[in-house]
Amino acid sequence: MKQRMPCLLIVDDELHVRESLGHWFTEDGYEVATASSGKEALAVLGRQHFDVVITDIKMPGMDGIELQRHIHETDPDVAVLVITAYASVSTAVQALKDGAYDYLVKPFDPEELSRVVEKACEKIRLAEENVALKQQIASAAPKLIIGASREMQRVMELVESVAATDATVLVRGESGTGKELVARLIHMQSPRAFGPLVAVNCGALPEGILESELFGHEKGSFTGAAGQRKGKLELADGGTLFLDEIGEIPAKVQVELLRALEDHKITRVGGTQEIKIDFRVICATNRDLEEAVRQGTFREDLYYRINVFEIDIPPLRDRPEDILPIAEHFLEKFSSAMGRRVTGLSPSARMMVLKYQWPGNVRELANAIERALVVCRGKEIEPQHLPILSRSTSQDGGDPDDLSMQAIEKKHILRVLKLNEFNVTHTAKALEIDRVTLYNKMRKYGIERPTG
Amino acid sequence: MSQSWQVELVAIGSVVPSTLAHLREDLAGILACPVWIATFHVDPKPFFDPRRRQYGAHSILERLLQPPPEENVHRIGITELDLFLPVFTHVFGAAQLGGPVGVASQYRLRPEFEGDFPDQIRLKQRLLKEVLHELGHTLALVHCKVPWCAMGASRLPEHVDLKDSSFCNPCADRIGVPRNELGLFTENP
Repeated sequence: MKQRMPCLLIVDDELHVRESLGHWFTEDGYEVATASSGKEALAVLGRQHFDVVITDIKMPGMDGIELQRHIHETDPDVAVLVITAYASVSTAVQALKDGAYDYLVKPFDPEELSRVVEKACEKIRLAEENVALKQQIASAAPKLIIGASREMQRVMELVESVAATDATVLVRGESGTGKELVARLIHMQSPRAFGPLVAVNCGALPEGILESELFGHEKGSFTGAAGQRKGKLELADGGTLFLDEIGEIPAKVQVELLRALEDHKITRVGGTQEIKIDFRVICATNRDLEEAVRQGTFREDLYYRINVFEIDIPPLRDRPEDILPIAEHFLEKFSSAMGRRVTGLSPSARMMVLKYQWPGNVRELANAIERALVVCRGKEIEPQHLPILSRSTSQDGGDPDDLSMQAIEKKHILRVLKLNEFNVTHTAKALEIDRVTLYNKMRKYGIERPTG
Repeated sequence: MSQSWQVELVAIGSVVPSTLAHLREDLAGILACPVWIATFHVDPKPFFDPRRRQYGAHSILERLLQPPPEENVHRIGITELDLFLPVFTHVFGAAQLGGPVGVASQYRLRPEFEGDFPDQIRLKQRLLKEVLHELGHTLALVHCKVPWCAMGASRLPEHVDLKDSSFCNPCADRIGVPRNELGLFTENP
């Protein structure tokens, strides 16, 4: 990938200095602009972003030190290099204390000037690269989604189909099913994978804060807005914006969000300048948005705007064959993090995990395994390490009020048969009984292998 | 594409005649275009800054525009004097980017300036590279990232030594001069 050339702004009241430096850095291939005063420099900076500002200290009106303060108030990432014809140590110290990148005395040694500017640009490039790499690492976590069930395979197929496009995606599913992981997977497989993935939990923030969080704000736009701040939409430029709990978004913000999604332009809170942003949106919700539209709490136009492509993640109880692989994945992950040598779940613990309904889905399963690992002292997790599951009532079909031993045994055999796709040998092995006993029990409870 | 421009060398102050003659010959070979030595020379006295004891490069460039060079003629001043720009302690040369004039100085290119023994061959090579560099600027080339290309930025004399007395292929193609015959390391990274 070709790197963009850094942009330099040269500020000096002397024309020959602006011309000489402008010419010098243009020859070096930099994109250069000049300003003859601090005031003019701030106006130029308001229109365009610069990586490095080279400013004279002694200027009529606003001096270089004051200009530097103004620049860093609005954009602390700009490297400011101060220059002066007067070799004053105290001025140099003041400039450096205020955050100047470096200090040079006129006339410059060409080697020194070029070295300092190259170093400043390199620092900015490394900082940008660092942010991008951190996001890349965070996005590239292995084994994001585990699930061999037909339902999850379908989800993965949908992810693959939609990832390559820029279509807006609405991920639906109960709490804890892994909606954010699906969003992350879509981002990772999309052409925007090297851009940022910015997540916002719309339900966690009150209206005023959510607005500022999404769109950013200008300095002084409200009490406490001490400096300019970029919003999540701006931070998602070139990447993906993940709006979790979209159904919780307040009405006022819905209007602004709709406009941003349609025009890909935003205005910061308290600002007037329109900022164009290139982003893809993935939303997630566990709410019935159609009902919310009917009740008038969610805008219909926003609903249609976000519901271009829908992915439904089934709850864990509807895909029992995924439970053990997911449990084993978390076991491996947490044992490694805790430095434990727990090798797996005992047969009875496995049965317990399989029988449980998991109302909190994958998140609850992860928490249960993590907790079990904390208390487990042996090589395998046992039922006593899973007390929450022991207290719960299994409701695997049939009459939930029938707590007789026979009813529970029937439900359990049926469940394990389903897990093993009615393979009697595998089921008998899982139940730790022989095949003949299993056949007898199936006959006794009227369980038959489904046809077709 | 072959170039339609020509090069005129002008002595700024006193310059050893053989220096100009060698330059003319080398440049004509590298650039495959007419190169000649002007019949006039420029008096540097008006451009002397007594406080800095150096000569103003910008003023010399302005002087080189008189009389105006003919169309497609790139006029490069050659001097043994120390050049400066107001904001810089010194420069090896200067040129109008995409304009018709440039100037190259051998003052700081002399090995003895850095404490080495005098070395006429090294000096001759350094001056040739500096002239090619300033000529490249008059042909609108900016600094090149290819380390050995004549358009690479040189802040120290030893940087000049690391360069070749030719242009990398992309720079050569841009100004229409023959490519480096060796054809090595010719891609711009």
